[in-house]
Order: sequence, then structure tokens, then C-alpha cells
Amino acid sequence: MFKKSSLWLVILIAVVACAFIATGCAKKQVVKEEAKPVVEAKKEEPKVEAAPTPAAPKEEAKAEAPPAEKAKEEAVKEAAVKEAAPREEPVKEAAPREAPKPEAAPKAEEKPALLDLTGLRIQFAFDDYNLSNKSKENLEKIASWMSKAPAAKVQIEGHTCDIGTSEYNLALGERRANSARKYLEGLGVSPARISTISYGEERPLVPNADEANRSKNRRDEFIQSR
Amino acid sequence: MKKNLFILLIVSLFTLLLAEGLWAKVYIDIRSPSFRKFPIAISPFKAPISANEDLKLGARTTEILTNDLAISGFFALIDPRTFAENTVRGHPAGSPSGTGQIPSAPGSGIIDFRPWANVGAEALVLGEVAYKDRSLTLEARLYDVVKKELIVGKRYIGEITDLSRMVHRFADEVIFALTGEQGIFQTKIVYVSTAPGNKEIFLMDFDGRNVNQITHHQSICLSPRFSPDGKKIAFTSYKAGNPDLYIRDLRTGEERRVAHFPGLNISPTWSPDGQRLALTLSKDGNPEVYTMQLDGSQLLRLTHHPAIDVSPTWSPDGKKIAFVSNRGGSPQIYIMEANGENVQRLTFEGNYNTHPAWSSRGDRLAFDSLLDGNHNICTIQPNGSDLRILTANLNRCETPSWSPDGRHLVFSSTREGGPHIYLMDAEGTRIKRLTFQRGGDTYPNWSPRFKE
Repeated sequence: MFKKSSLWLVILIAVVACAFIATGCAKKQVVKEEAKPVVEAKKEEPKVEAAPTPAAPKEEAKAEAPPAEKAKEEAVKEAAVKEAAPREEPVKEAAPREAPKPEAAPKAEEKPALLDLTGLRIQFAFDDYNLSNKSKENLEKIASWMSKAPAAKVQIEGHTCDIGTSEYNLALGERRANSARKYLEGLGVSPARISTISYGEERPLVPNADEANRSKNRRDEFIQSR
Repeated sequence: MKKNLFILLIVSLFTLLLAEGLWAKVYIDIRSPSFRKFPIAISPFKAPISANEDLKLGARTTEILTNDLAISGFFALIDPRTFAENTVRGHPAGSPSGTGQIPSAPGSGIIDFRPWANVGAEALVLGEVAYKDRSLTLEARLYDVVKKELIVGKRYIGEITDLSRMVHRFADEVIFALTGEQGIFQTKIVYVSTAPGNKEIFLMDFDGRNVNQITHHQSICLSPRFSPDGKKIAFTSYKAGNPDLYIRDLRTGEERRVAHFPGLNISPTWSPDGQRLALTLSKDGNPEVYTMQLDGSQLLRLTHHPAIDVSPTWSPDGKKIAFVSNRGGSPQIYIMEANGENVQRLTFEGNYNTHPAWSSRGDRLAFDSLLDGNHNICTIQPNGSDLRILTANLNRCETPSWSPDGRHLVFSSTREGGPHIYLMDAEGTRIKRLTFQRGGDTYPNWSPRFKE
């Protein structure tokens, strides 16, 4: 009795009707949702989270020193955690190196002529760690002095300007220190008397304000060490 | 006839079920390439019960929440000056007592959504803050203005110092309810500051609040990096007279020195599973990239080249490591397999590309590029294509770090002295300054989302 075309018409109407309902009218909403109040009464315990900003006394109480299990680990116990406000102190500038004191030289030996190692700092070109002729001259003077003071030791500090990341500059500073080290060893200084450390861009001689200053910061410093 | 009726029934049922699926509302489709900004109104939070008017709890709450939603970039925040007086009156009359007693909540009959709809809002936030007997209570609700219904409501109870944390938590709820994605408002940023006179490590909320000094080495502290669970940081310090590597537990304050080989122990980065560190050591005569377990064991050398190899960073899937090398003659960024094989150069523009940072989405790396004498933050795809310069007009932008959702970057810049830490979105717009201490702030690193 039902014609096929009638059936399709009914289906079509059903689809269209559903489409209208779905897209058009506002959903009838029973108000009951708001009768239930805010979903959670959540007790916020200030110290329960990973948020690392608790009050200073609590942090201090928890600092335990675990046993050092492997040779390479060390437990470093923190001293009292200070307040967040910075201390009222002048910013410490990189202090100019002082000349090594005579007391450093061993008393049993003949004291050599005092050498102003500060004045013998050597410079480098940008992103470079090769030694210039002037640098080699300075190193020769240092080697000569060290040969007359067999107990003297020297530390070589490698420095850079501030262009580039701290990390790359730490590596570059190390390269610069090692360049000087190799040259001194080549001049006969025993490796045991030379130590090196890189400070990268962290201890500029002068503020990195312009290229003239930056070139001054690309250097090795020599310090008499014990 | 019966057969035809049956077919009709089945088809109608099917169609109704299909139509039911169309009812679920997609508020903000963040996967869409150019979604429109979602209009939301934040009604100023009230503080009817406050031990001290000067606390300005309502204004502070509103400010923090507004700031969070603005930073997200998803919203068009309706200007509060357009709010008619009567819209604010549609606010719940009951106030939280702070004793756990649940007051009568507003029914949709009390809130008149029409004035909000008139100013163009599709969502609305209402809430109250109360402070009594040293207990702070924040109640906040997010409404669908079109459907006139509550989407999510929360009440938080804590101390006065918990205010920003509560607001950030609610902001995360808003983001999740409207986008389906986890928010980033409870995350933190760790960085290096010279405010104490020497370089120490500091921690702050992602929006610059709650600054705290973390280390007191009175030496030089460098390159802090969050662990994948956010509980620890690895960093380098000269405290013992040499650049050594430390791990600090942020909750307990416990610090361990985990690498102190001769020479450099620098630029740490965590594997995505948190089990290993990649770092640069120069103990074998040259700065090379190594990986090791957190206790310093199982040391594995990855690079074998006489050039400088520093600043490793893992891909989020743990399969690759990007790093900086000058093996090509100048510092550039390279990518290798996590076992050190198959080193490929990534950057070819400019002479100085450093500090790679891999987005948590895996689809881009940010880095620091020296172009025309200026440092810029750039991003690039891991296959080397689609290089974008984000900070072309700013002074000296360096050391970028991604947010956990890959939508934002923090970096340092000298555009207003300092340098200071700034926040921007991944396209380089909406730049916001975060640090205001004296001295210089550098090397920011963004935490992951903290799991409870």
C-alpha cells in the first residue's frame, strides 16, 4: 500500500527535521544544574604541590644531606635560604687582577725578579684561539721566568667577549687557555706547573659596550697559583 | 507496510543519533589554522568579605585571570568599560563563608545573560574572593552565554599567599573546558640573574610573579634546565672552583654535584624520560657531547670531532639531539641521532647560530642567530626548512625556551636595558616583559606542566 516514493519522502522529512532541531533552536535547559553549587570545595594546601615557592623556614627544614654513594657525587647541604629580596650591595665588578705577592715564591729558592703577570695577558681575535706574535712574545717571557723559578706555577684563565651563548664561550675560553698552555709546554714548562680554567664571557675585563671593549675581553689572563 | 514502517523507524533512529552528535559544542578549535578569537567577558571579581580593603583581592584576582587569558592568545577579552551596570548586578548574592558551607549558588534565573550577550560575550566568568580568619576562599565560574549554562565552577581554599596559584589553576580549567588542551598557567620559569651581585639561579611564575632566589653559591651559576617532571634543575656552577655540574631538587633544596671532570661540565639537558643528561665535557681534551645517568655513571661520548661541540638538546621523542658545533668553521646548529650517528647540519644562514631549543610539539626548533650584527630569535623545522626570524626589530634577543604547549617562547633581550626576560607567542608577536629586577636576567628555561 505504501508507495516507495512516499517512504522516501517521509525519511527525507525526518532527516530535515532532525537537522533543523540540531542546528537551530536553543536547547531547553533545566535549571537544576545551577541549583548544584560550584563543583568542588577543594582544599588548597599551599605546600602540597610541586610549586617551589614555600616559605623560607620550611625549605630549610627539609634539606637533608644524603650519603655520598659514588665517588663522583657529593651532597651539598644548603645554608639558610635567604629572602627573595636582593641584598642591598653594590654590584661586584670584575676586580682587576693584582700582581702576585712575593710570599707565593718558595723561601728556600732564590726569589726571581717579580713578574707582572697581569701585564702579560694576551689577546685573541673574534671566535679565534690562535696566538699572535705578540702573544708568543709574552708567553716566552713567562716561560723564561718560570725556568728561573722552578717552584712557580701558573694558572691560565680563558676569557671571551659576550657575543654568543655562555656555553659556547666557555668552550672558546677553554680553547684560548689551552693554546697558551700548549705553547708554554712547547717552551719546556712542565705540564704539572700549568693549570687552566675557562670563564667564558663571565668575567669581562671591561664592559662589553662596543667593539673596542669587546676585543679587550678576548684574552687569556695569567695568575700565579700555589 | 510493517516492513516499511520498520525501515522508517531504523532510519529515524539513526538520524536522531546522528543529530545528537551535532549537539556537542566546539568552543575553540585550536587545531584550526586561523581560528577566530573567542569573545569572553571577565566580570570584575568581588571581595565582599575581606579582612583588609587594602588587600584589593578582587582587583588582583581579576588582573591575574585577565592576564592569563590574554597571554593564551585564544580570546578576545571584552573591554570591561562596556559592561553595563546591570550586568554586574547579575552576580550571585550569596557569599562564600569560608567554613565549607555551600551557599546558595546562582541559578540561571538570577544571572541575566542578555546584557553579556549584548556586549558580544560568548563566555562569562563570574567570581568572588573572601578573606576571613586567615583563610582565603576563591570561587569562580565559567558560563556559556549562548546556552545560558554553567560550564565549570570551582572553589579554592587556602592562605593569602595562594591567591595567584588559585587563579592560575582556574585559568587552566577555563582553557581545558574551552579548548580541550591543558593550560600552562601553573608553570614556572628558571633563569640566571645578577641581581645579588653575581650570577645565581632564580625561579618565577610564568607571568613574572613570585620571584625567588634558588641558589646562593656566591660564585657563578649558569644554564639551569628543568627536568621533564619539573622537580629538579640541572645547572653549572663554579662554586668548587671549576665549572661543575649540579642537580638540585626544587622541593627539598637538596643539591648534588654530579659531574666534576677536569675542564668543562656544562650545558646540561635532560632526556625526555628524565633518566639521563646530555652535556658537554672537555675532559678528553676537547669540548664534546656526552650522555650520562643522573648519578654520573654510564658516561657515553656522542661526538668525535676536534671542533667545539656544545649546547645539546633532545627532541621530544628522544630520538635525536640538536647541538652547536663549529666544525663547519663557525658556530652552527647540527642534529644527530641520540646515539651520536648521522650528524646533519641544520642552519646555513648567518655565521653564528647557537642555543637550539626543541619545541615539545617536535615540529620546530628555536635558536639564537646573529644576523647583521644583531642577535635574533629564529625558528626552523627539523628538516631545515621554513626559517622564520621572530625578533628582527628588537635588541639582542637570545637564549629562547619554549612553553610546554609549544605556543610561546621566553627569551632574554636588552631592548630595555638589563637584559631582561621577555615572553612572546611562537609567531613573535605579543611581547611582554617578565623581569624587573636590577642587574641582568638571562638564560630562561620554561618548566613542564607539573603533575600533582
